[in-house]
Amino acid sequence: MARVKLTNVQKVYDKNVIAVNDFNLDIKDKEFVVFVGPSGCGKSTTLRMIAGLEEISGGTIEIDGVVVNDLQPKDRDIAMVFQNYALYPHLSVFENIAFPLRIQKMPQDEIFKRVTNAAEILGITDYLNRKPRALSGGQRQRVAIGRAMVRDSKVFLMDEPLSNLDAKLRNQMRAEIILLRQKINTTFVYVTHDQTEAMTLGDRIVIMKDGLIQQVGTPDEVFDMPKNLFVAEFIGAPKMNTFETDLIREGNEYYVKPFGAKIKVDGSKGEELKKADIKPAKVILGVRPEHILLGHEGDPDSIECTVQVNEMMGSELHLHVLTKDNTSLIVRVPTVNLTHEQRDAMVNGHKIYITFAGKVMHFFDKETKNNLLY
Amino acid sequence: MDKKKQHMGMKAKTRLSNGIIYTALTIISIIWLFPFFCLVCESFRCESTYQVEYIIPQKWGFDNYINLFTKTDFPIWFKNTFIIALFVSVLQTIIVLCMSYTLSRLRFKSRKPLMNLMLILGMFPGFLSLILLYKLLSSWGMTNANSIPGLILVYVASSGMGYYVSKGYFDTIPRSLDEAARVDGCTRAQVLTKVILPLAKPIVIYTILTAFMGPWGDFMLANYVAHATSAGMNVAVGLQNMIGTSSSMAANYTMFCAGGVIVAIPITILFMALQKYYVEGVTGGAVKG
Amino acid sequence: MTEYNNKNISIFSDLNDLDYLRLSKLQAIGYDVVHFFKKIPTFFVNLFKAAIAIIKGFFVKIKDECVDIVTTFTNGDWKTKVSYLVMGFGSIARGQILRGLLFLVFEIVFIVYMAVAGFYWLGKYSTLGTLKSGSVYDPILDTYVRVEGDNSFKILLYGTLTILFIIAFIYTWRLNVKQNRIAESILKSGKKLKSGKEDLQSMMDDEFHKTLLALPVFGIFTFTVFPIIFMILVAFTNYDAAHDGYSNLFTWVGLSNFNSLFSINTGTDNLSFAFGEILSWTLMWAVLATFTNYFLGMLVAIMINKKGIKFKKMWRGILVLTSAVPQFISLLYVSKMFAVNGVLNGILVKWGIIHDLSEYLRLWESPTTARIMVVLINVWIGIPYLMLIATGILMNIPTDLYESASVDGANTWQQYTKITLPYMLFVTGPYLLTSFIGNINNFNVIFLLSGGGPTNPKLLTSAGAAGDTDLLITWLFKIVNGAGSKYYLASVIGIMIFVVVASLSLIVYNVMPSTRNEEDYS
Repeated sequence: MARVKLTNVQKVYDKNVIAVNDFNLDIKDKEFVVFVGPSGCGKSTTLRMIAGLEEISGGTIEIDGVVVNDLQPKDRDIAMVFQNYALYPHLSVFENIAFPLRIQKMPQDEIFKRVTNAAEILGITDYLNRKPRALSGGQRQRVAIGRAMVRDSKVFLMDEPLSNLDAKLRNQMRAEIILLRQKINTTFVYVTHDQTEAMTLGDRIVIMKDGLIQQVGTPDEVFDMPKNLFVAEFIGAPKMNTFETDLIREGNEYYVKPFGAKIKVDGSKGEELKKADIKPAKVILGVRPEHILLGHEGDPDSIECTVQVNEMMGSELHLHVLTKDNTSLIVRVPTVNLTHEQRDAMVNGHKIYITFAGKVMHFFDKETKNNLLY
Repeated sequence: MDKKKQHMGMKAKTRLSNGIIYTALTIISIIWLFPFFCLVCESFRCESTYQVEYIIPQKWGFDNYINLFTKTDFPIWFKNTFIIALFVSVLQTIIVLCMSYTLSRLRFKSRKPLMNLMLILGMFPGFLSLILLYKLLSSWGMTNANSIPGLILVYVASSGMGYYVSKGYFDTIPRSLDEAARVDGCTRAQVLTKVILPLAKPIVIYTILTAFMGPWGDFMLANYVAHATSAGMNVAVGLQNMIGTSSSMAANYTMFCAGGVIVAIPITILFMALQKYYVEGVTGGAVKG
Repeated sequence: MTEYNNKNISIFSDLNDLDYLRLSKLQAIGYDVVHFFKKIPTFFVNLFKAAIAIIKGFFVKIKDECVDIVTTFTNGDWKTKVSYLVMGFGSIARGQILRGLLFLVFEIVFIVYMAVAGFYWLGKYSTLGTLKSGSVYDPILDTYVRVEGDNSFKILLYGTLTILFIIAFIYTWRLNVKQNRIAESILKSGKKLKSGKEDLQSMMDDEFHKTLLALPVFGIFTFTVFPIIFMILVAFTNYDAAHDGYSNLFTWVGLSNFNSLFSINTGTDNLSFAFGEILSWTLMWAVLATFTNYFLGMLVAIMINKKGIKFKKMWRGILVLTSAVPQFISLLYVSKMFAVNGVLNGILVKWGIIHDLSEYLRLWESPTTARIMVVLINVWIGIPYLMLIATGILMNIPTDLYESASVDGANTWQQYTKITLPYMLFVTGPYLLTSFIGNINNFNVIFLLSGGGPTNPKLLTSAGAAGDTDLLITWLFKIVNGAGSKYYLASVIGIMIFVVVASLSLIVYNVMPSTRNEEDYS
């Protein structure tokens, strides 16, 4: 229930290793913000600076209008869920959840009320008298969340809470976090390296790399309009295909010429290119696997490829194909519209023809790697 | 057919190697227990007080034990050692835990220099500093007859340097527990009392146990501080003095054996009762030190 | 590929990783040995450079501090300026009464001490006293009166303390100046200073390490650091029983004690010879004691932990039980068992192997057998402990390593040499070093078993007799407790032990990978 404001925040280790650089972010009250990025990008460090577990080398962090730089974690009124749960092994589940309340010297009645209430929401009432080691991974994670919940703190911090769970449980817990969020309605800061988690959970996503913010935006924004090549490749699975190609202009129309084909940039993208008056040049073209369509032999916009790997995912096929000049591309083909003949044509070693959907292409500068249209 | 033969061969081979191991372990056990068996036998020997060349006494009895308690200062030595061990086990445990917890969990500027300093100090023979300490203790009247407080002081004062084993143990407790507790509202002192100490029970017991056992076996320091007066000796110095010369050896040898048994019994019982923690401490902490 | 195979590879040249991998096993070992020795000069050069860097850094630091002191003064307000004379004034004036008072009290104590005693002791420090106690004729009373003269011991003791006190004062004064600068900048940025209560609270939280370390570090400084400094100083004096400090003053002698340890070798005083002999036996003993224990302890642990061996707990229990008995009992008793009229000879007579006194084994009376005996009995004492450590590590070796090795076709012996041993050596590297150092200073085992004997006339020195199994530490003990009580010689030997241990550790630390990076384990 508070606004968190980070201004020029910096973290420097050993006087020369910069972990987080010039981090500016204004997290609104009750907003769910996700920090996402590859390991070592500084996302956890930033979270831990908000928690007070790491010293802040430069800049200020405000929680609810108060500069907390010099405050101890206990004085910041925050709750945190750790990656490895960090449950106290010597305490029962009940006492684990009650721990922060006991430190506050809350009366027993109130503690009991709050703990059982939280346990009910999380569905762990039956385990309250057990020790953490008798619980499964998912149950432990719930206890950890319960411990953070009972406090009614201003900010709820989560440091990769799902990464120790197996894939199935992770999906389930992700859904539960969305539900939980509706119930406890406070400010959330969530750290993950998994872009799916970021896209599904966050109101806003902060994508980081090498200690620098790459882009801040809603899931839609970062997906549709990645600010640079890194964000484009990081968000979305399978990863966006990127390769160098020529962007040319003929009259009022823009075309790209990948692998010998010539594809028109149409729809809103074409308009935007015109509006920005982009000069024809060699660019990096980005096409998401789901934006690659099957083409026909002989069409000017179709590209001949050889299927290398065929991954059947059920609802769709993931094809790893190789163009004539040995560029590897990933193509996502929904199975629903495929005929048997078409499917048979997509086995390894077979030739297929593909084309790109012009209205959802992304163009990046060859040198700066920035989105030409951002 | 061939395969079966090989299989049989393997089984026989295992049986053979296990047989060798059992034999070896039996021999080792006998070698390790034999001296203690002899010690106990000799302590009950009544026909002579000097060293003899046979093991089983010709006349069994409690004479040596009775003499030990009535004719020598052994009760005083035992009491001295017990008092020392009691104080040392409490004080040393506190100091070692403070030190090891701090060095394992807290990060501050002088941490590395402090650890390096202690590493370097550990390379000087401890006896060297005792020369000055003896002079100081004697000027404070804490030697010889009054050596108990002096010895406690000497044992305890520098015990912070023996932090390695328990630091190794603390290092194995995940740091995220500290962090969780701090976020949950604990001061660093509360983190120690409410989270770390309850989790560190094995190493606390290990530290108490080793601190308690130390004074029973110490000879070098105790001998230096209390070498002249029987009233200030610990059991090690007292019993060693009993057989220090060949004439005293002839008169007291069996009594020395009885003393050894008396000292060994309580320590061994304590040790056996807490063996689990000792093993955990040695295997957990010592290697990482 | 072919180009690679034709290349001529010499183990004396520096090879890249791939070339190194092409060496046969023997060549690889040769390469490692050659390069270990090749590295030694660079090691010392680096050491030297590091030492210079430290010294340089020290002076740079001092320069920085001085600059900071001056700038703080010129830029500071009047409260800060007054604090340069009256420590803690700034803190008190800014409302941090508790801090300020502590500074002020410290300054007053220091000034009073220096006036009352400090300068007195310092004045005599360079000579360690000139006035002997004794009787002096007093013309007025017409009699001899006793005059209390100087006491070298006290002068050395209190003089050293005074110097340490001055250093502490300078440090505190510097802290006091820094406090003012920090307080000023905090006030300037509009924040509030910590109150005395908050200071106390932070001692339980942010500054908790200070609270926890206060007592242990105080103990270490008074009972270890200070005595060591004192004894190092003694090595440069002629302090012994004849020059005890009050009836006969002692004084500074420079490096002559070190000189005599290395050069004196006469018929009655084989000092340098004895030192060399005892040092080499000490090192030999440390190597033997450490490695016999290590490998045999590991062997026993492997035997007990082998799959299919029953009663594991019992075997372990028997061994551990023996380490519960205080060492002095087991050592003293076992040493008597092997004495001339001990149980061993009794058994041998009974079995008819030996017959009369002339044939009795006199194990403690010949240098060789005495040395073998202490090593063997040390194995007996040490194996249970090593067995426990090795057990802990063996249980930590992932079993899939062995499974994969046996799938790859390794037999038991190969599994031991390729998996168990390297793993053990890696994990126990630091332990091996500490136990090696421990054995160099293993007083108990030697003193209680052989007492250092048998006495060797060749090792006779002006400081007393020494024996063939004497370690440096027992020799040191004997010198102090001997008739001459040559404290200065004991100090010199103590320093030599330090030098030996420190240089060995330095080399080992640089060779062994597992001694570095404590964080790697956690």
